[in-house]
Amino acid sequence: MMTASEPTLFRLRVAYPKLGRLKYLGHLELIHTVEQVVRRAKLPYAVTQGFSPHMRIAYTSALPVGTSSTAEYFDVYLTELIPAERALAQLQEAAPVDLRPIAAGYVELRRPALTAEINEVHYLLELQPASGTSVSCPEVAAIADTWRSEGAQIPYRRGKKTKTLDVSKLLKSASVAPSNTGALWLELVTHCDNDGSLRPEIIVAAVDQALRGLDPGVDEDIVSTGIQSLTLFEGYNVERRSQRIADEAGVAHPLGRELEVPAGSLSARMASDALSNL
Amino acid sequence: MRAVYENRFSELEPLLARVEKPTRYIDHEWGALYKPEAEHRCVLIYPDVYEVGLPNQGIAILYRNLNEADGLSCERGYIPWVDMADEMRAAGIPLLSLEGAAPIASFDVVGFHVPHEMACTNYLEGLDLAGIPLYAADRGEDDPIVICGGPSVYNPEPLAPFFDCMMIGEGEEQIVEFCQRHRELRDAGVPRAQMLRELAKVGGVYVPSLYEVRHDEPCSAHGYTVPREGEDVLPIVYKRVVKDFGATNPVPQAVVPYMQIVQDRLCVEALRGCARGCRFCQAGMTYRPVRERSADQIVSAVTCGLAHMGYDEVSLNSLSTTDHSKCAEILTRLNKRLGDTGISISVPSQRLDSFGVDMAAAVAGEKKGGLTFAPEAGSQRMRDIINKNVTEEDLERATRAAFEAGWRRVKLYFMMGLPGETDDDIVAIAELADHTLEIAREVVPKEQRGGISVSISVSVFIPKAHTPFQWCPQLDDAEVKRRQQLLFRSVKNRAVRIHCHDAETSLIEAVMSRGGRDIAPLIEGAWRRGQRFDAWTEQFSLERWEEAAADLGIDLRATAQQSFELDWRLPWEHVSPGVSRGYLLREYRRSLEGITTPDCTRESCTGCGVCPTLKADNVLVGERA
Repeated sequence: MMTASEPTLFRLRVAYPKLGRLKYLGHLELIHTVEQVVRRAKLPYAVTQGFSPHMRIAYTSALPVGTSSTAEYFDVYLTELIPAERALAQLQEAAPVDLRPIAAGYVELRRPALTAEINEVHYLLELQPASGTSVSCPEVAAIADTWRSEGAQIPYRRGKKTKTLDVSKLLKSASVAPSNTGALWLELVTHCDNDGSLRPEIIVAAVDQALRGLDPGVDEDIVSTGIQSLTLFEGYNVERRSQRIADEAGVAHPLGRELEVPAGSLSARMASDALSNL
Repeated sequence: MRAVYENRFSELEPLLARVEKPTRYIDHEWGALYKPEAEHRCVLIYPDVYEVGLPNQGIAILYRNLNEADGLSCERGYIPWVDMADEMRAAGIPLLSLEGAAPIASFDVVGFHVPHEMACTNYLEGLDLAGIPLYAADRGEDDPIVICGGPSVYNPEPLAPFFDCMMIGEGEEQIVEFCQRHRELRDAGVPRAQMLRELAKVGGVYVPSLYEVRHDEPCSAHGYTVPREGEDVLPIVYKRVVKDFGATNPVPQAVVPYMQIVQDRLCVEALRGCARGCRFCQAGMTYRPVRERSADQIVSAVTCGLAHMGYDEVSLNSLSTTDHSKCAEILTRLNKRLGDTGISISVPSQRLDSFGVDMAAAVAGEKKGGLTFAPEAGSQRMRDIINKNVTEEDLERATRAAFEAGWRRVKLYFMMGLPGETDDDIVAIAELADHTLEIAREVVPKEQRGGISVSISVSVFIPKAHTPFQWCPQLDDAEVKRRQQLLFRSVKNRAVRIHCHDAETSLIEAVMSRGGRDIAPLIEGAWRRGQRFDAWTEQFSLERWEEAAADLGIDLRATAQQSFELDWRLPWEHVSPGVSRGYLLREYRRSLEGITTPDCTRESCTGCGVCPTLKADNVLVGERA
């Protein structure tokens, strides 16, 4: 809460990845770590008033354990305006390599929270077919297209609750491409809002079932429990690669620009795949 | 052939998706030290899961000192939780270190921390997962040297057959000397048996295989331990002690974990040792002499440590921090420095007087959670027996001051089964608890009384080696249960919450505290029946321990409940923290008469023998209050 007597605050938005082994950090572990990074970076962070003072900082939505990212953000409120470039350099110095911030800039204090603003999330998945099975790109693409055109509702369980994935509402597009190692690249553009978001592992499990001729989530349960055990695929990797703000006017990025793709990410690997195929 | 030192994380990674808390196994924390090029490698393993072991200050000190030494390196290890251990066994992956993700069996020295008795089955779990023979006698030239050390080595015998060397006392200088010496011996190609004889010459190192258990002189069924015929080793291995504590690094901690864990904060060891002389307390005997850091050193260590590690909490650790002669000054200066940064200070173990409450108030600010006091016994008679130099008035003043200062939750720690305890002493615990609640209701304004909480936690007394009560039996577990019921019945006020420790766990703890080398096969038997993580209530099973004991013809209760004659040679007297047998005996006799003994940092020397024996002294930076 801002009151007239409070000093002016400055809202620094920082973009950072979650790579390598650190994709196994849970959300609470992640935010705990980010706060330590801010303190080690000696940024003049603002502290909430009250019984149990803590850092004024806000994050993007929680990533499932095991999902990497090249596009996470946090907003930290500062009591002094320090050049964004300097703040970024200090944060980079204080962060573990796999969480090292990639961009920073000030944003308006009155802007909505990150979680309220962001409504389009892009995922990249690498699906590794099990040995002895062959899954073609067109097959997978056709499944996604059918779901979208038919407005499929895929049931799944999360904890004790049964939920439904509304494909036509949440999945904006899906594209498939072969990788150089015999895997499939699956790119998902998803919509998210207060009512819900798409968890990529549900799509993966549903694709695995549909390829086997099953009605996904109906003939066989889909349980949302982080990393899925699949039949036709021996493993998969997921990465959140972009978070955007879409409206009638078009699409914007939380920091106003596309982020660089950090080395060691799934996205960087797909990019080098594509280069070598030229 | 020695296992190959190589990174095997890629084998472990597929398992991470299937286990609880994968962060336990990923390493790569801020501040982790890694010297892959070092010529000598040691791995230090805490015998429990990552989040329990990581905050350990002992390992933090050794980890830093080894990695700062030329040519030496130190990595960390923990025991994987049961889900991961089972997955690793099924996948054929051995126990790995954190930093290098290398097999534990590939290290030169494998060290286990010995935090308490109930970790006993986890050493075997760790060795087995590592593929290292459980018994020292079965290890060959290619196996690592397996060592252990920590606060609970003062009755080394139940663990002795599993370890090549046991490190007695303070390890910060010793571990470096030990690894340097081991490196020289290894490079000279010295065979294992000879190597152990040489390593026994490093101060404070006990090599169990060079000693044997005898029963010739008056002793218990567990015997006593003397140098093996023909071995040139010391009859008593005295603990190592750091004489110039102020010269040691006040911020040895390096690693900042990702996981949110209970003691995840900066720790600065403000002082070492406590001379209050509580007669049940092993730490009070084994951490002597008392050595304080200066106020300047502590304040600057806190400031630098916080900046470097990014923590929002700092704890000033020791056995009794409010005894530090500059405690008030340190807290005032820290409060001034940390001001409005949202960083909090904590001081464990409150002194039971109004000074203790003043100090707690100095660090609590607006946030007054709970305050814990340890009167240990309910009656003055019993507090005199145990030499807890606290009077009824002290207690009353401390709790009154706490409620007046704004605390609403007060917790009191007690022990049950102390030598000479009667039903009256149990009833006195109940009365003290009731009285504390009455004080609260009297002091706290009416509209805030809903927040009042008084709870008591009652553990079972376990006689520990090298304490004045080392000759005493443990109370029978059936009788413990009866007295627990008596306590529940005696507390009049339903608002007092009562927590009693499990009598069955305490029985095994006492067996480990009092037994001899003959107990080692019992640990193996329990482990083979599936026991691990015995310190976790849900993992502990007395039935398995009883089966293992029956198999070996060991009587658990006789081991825990036998009282030792004063002229017997005891199973642990070949290692010593420096307190003399004469002093312990004198203290025991005084306890029988209910005579208390003062604290040598406040009054005159009590003749415990530590200073002359270890050639060290109390180091105080001021007058104690």
